[in-house]
Amino acid sequence: MNRAVLEGLGIELPLLPTTTVGSLPKPPDLVEARARFARGGMSQRELDEVAEEAVVFWLQRQEELGLDILVDGEMYRGDMVAYFADQLEGMELGGLVRAYGNRYYHKPVICAPVRWEQPMTVGWWRFAQGHTTKPVKAIITGPYTMMDWSFDEYYPDRRRACLALAHEMRKEVEALAAAGAKIVQVDEPALSVRPEELPVAIEAMHVVTDGLPIYSITHACYGAFEQIYPGMLDLPTHNLDLAISQSAIDWIGILRRAPFTKDLSVGVLDVHSHAVESAQAVCNRIERALELVSSTALWVTPDCGLKTRTLEEAIEKLGNMVAATQQVRAMVASGQ
Amino acid sequence: MDFVLQNHSSYPRVGDKPGQQRLRRALAARERGEIDTAEFAAIERAAVDEIVHEQEHAGLDIITDGQIRWYDPISHVMGALDGVRINGLLRYFDTNFYFRQPVVQAAVQHRGPIACEDFRLASLAARLPVKPVLPGPYTLARLSVIESSAYTSVAALAHALSASLAAEVGALAHAGARIIQVEEPAILAHPEDSDLLRRLLEPLWLARGTAQLVVATYFGDAEPLYAQLNSLPADILALDLTYSPRLVETIAAAGASKILALGIVDGRNTRLEHADAIAEQVTTLLRRYTLDTVHLLPSCGLEHLPRDRARAKLDVLGKVRRLLTTPQ
Repeated sequence: MNRAVLEGLGIELPLLPTTTVGSLPKPPDLVEARARFARGGMSQRELDEVAEEAVVFWLQRQEELGLDILVDGEMYRGDMVAYFADQLEGMELGGLVRAYGNRYYHKPVICAPVRWEQPMTVGWWRFAQGHTTKPVKAIITGPYTMMDWSFDEYYPDRRRACLALAHEMRKEVEALAAAGAKIVQVDEPALSVRPEELPVAIEAMHVVTDGLPIYSITHACYGAFEQIYPGMLDLPTHNLDLAISQSAIDWIGILRRAPFTKDLSVGVLDVHSHAVESAQAVCNRIERALELVSSTALWVTPDCGLKTRTLEEAIEKLGNMVAATQQVRAMVASGQ
Repeated sequence: MDFVLQNHSSYPRVGDKPGQQRLRRALAARERGEIDTAEFAAIERAAVDEIVHEQEHAGLDIITDGQIRWYDPISHVMGALDGVRINGLLRYFDTNFYFRQPVVQAAVQHRGPIACEDFRLASLAARLPVKPVLPGPYTLARLSVIESSAYTSVAALAHALSASLAAEVGALAHAGARIIQVEEPAILAHPEDSDLLRRLLEPLWLARGTAQLVVATYFGDAEPLYAQLNSLPADILALDLTYSPRLVETIAAAGASKILALGIVDGRNTRLEHADAIAEQVTTLLRRYTLDTVHLLPSCGLEHLPRDRARAKLDVLGKVRRLLTTPQ
């Protein structure tokens, strides 16, 4: 559906392109290095070197697995909001807040006007792209999620906080595009939290991506899509990446309410389960998604970032995802 | 006027100080099989004691167990019922906290006390009354997926859950709870179901014995439903005043037919309220309030805040009460 956009950017992809949502498990030596860094026993440069090795490790694994669009695995990031908040002027990291189970994060605080000072991900994107001939997807956290997942002690209301963040995050996307990134994913897992605020999220996404020479993906997960569909189709993005594999909601029924007008990245792996889905189970999920969009508009991904899985689990899950995709490609090619 | 200070429900189970991380580390160690059940239980018990004492030091009159032994408020209760399996993560209303979604596969059945042990542990450590907090039948039904033919609608499931929760309220009252809170945030998005909610709460009301039943709403604007909320079978109505200024105006104009518990400090943002502004707001709000007791509490559970800010919010409650009770 948006193949012309990709082709215009010089990117050719097979049917049912495979990719990951972004984060991948950190290898043990990087986990150890990050702990040592946190204790003050390592310099930033030393930590970055370990992270670079981990990025290369994952680029090689992704190539071996046969994924089509690669990621740097976010080896240098902890929390998806805190990473950016830590580098934007006007934001600081607050205390620990629980996300689920025994998972905590340092929830950021907006304490002054937000300002982008310098690229936050461009160096890492450039490093990753320099190690592969396959396209590397750049990934940032979207302004609505940045706002919603932060405490706000400065702006008078949520919309103004969100739009201020949007203007600053656009500068990051501009810097990525200038560096050569052609596929940019803007993560908005908070997209559906307040259905009445969907227009704010859409307004902010316009600020972030309008007019830039990129193929954009918006990733959303674990939300009440039933409350914002089809309104979410107004997001100015080429591809909506939705975490729906483990949802007990009838998402096919929901997405059938209106024609799906974007490319769809369908989540087919439960990233919170240790169990490795069989290739057949993944095949079934892809085939269900093909009831909604054509094979030229469908991408295949895990539900969300795989960082909470072990290396072995992530590799095995992705291996089955690629194998299943290849099966479905063959079926589509043979007209079955 | 008697101003009673109470905690709302949840409380941050870990803090940023090294000594406040023991439960987190113990949970991880248990998952790795590095500590046994007894060792974990002792650490968990110490964490309950710590939370209890922190609330008592903040000068509250009624405290909670902080729900610190629960994975989340929804799956903890639903997972303890027969007929339910627990599925993947789903966002909890518009927070960035996630709960595991229940899937109802057969007729639900209360098979034994769910929150009594939490109440008992907190009460053992406390010198103040402990308020057990339960999600309500309507909210539980709304957040569940129905796969069983036993229930053809949310309402049908909610009625079955009402019976189970009435059994739980009865068990808590029997265990000595003098005040029990039932939370129904989901009703704010479905005002058309307010009659259903009233019917669902009747069995809980009847099961409460001599305990007071608090019905709490939050995560939304309660103003359009204020009249209906006043007709619910409840002793105390807990309201989130931070979501909409219109609610304050409505209460100021209409008064109340039940004891109110006013959620006057924002449990979801770290910005600390000015006690004098809040006290002024409460004074305005109580203009037509004819009852002799009002409760003050956070707008929702405090687990959405860092531990130090949660504690600071409780301190604001104390400052507001001092301002309200100091002769001008």
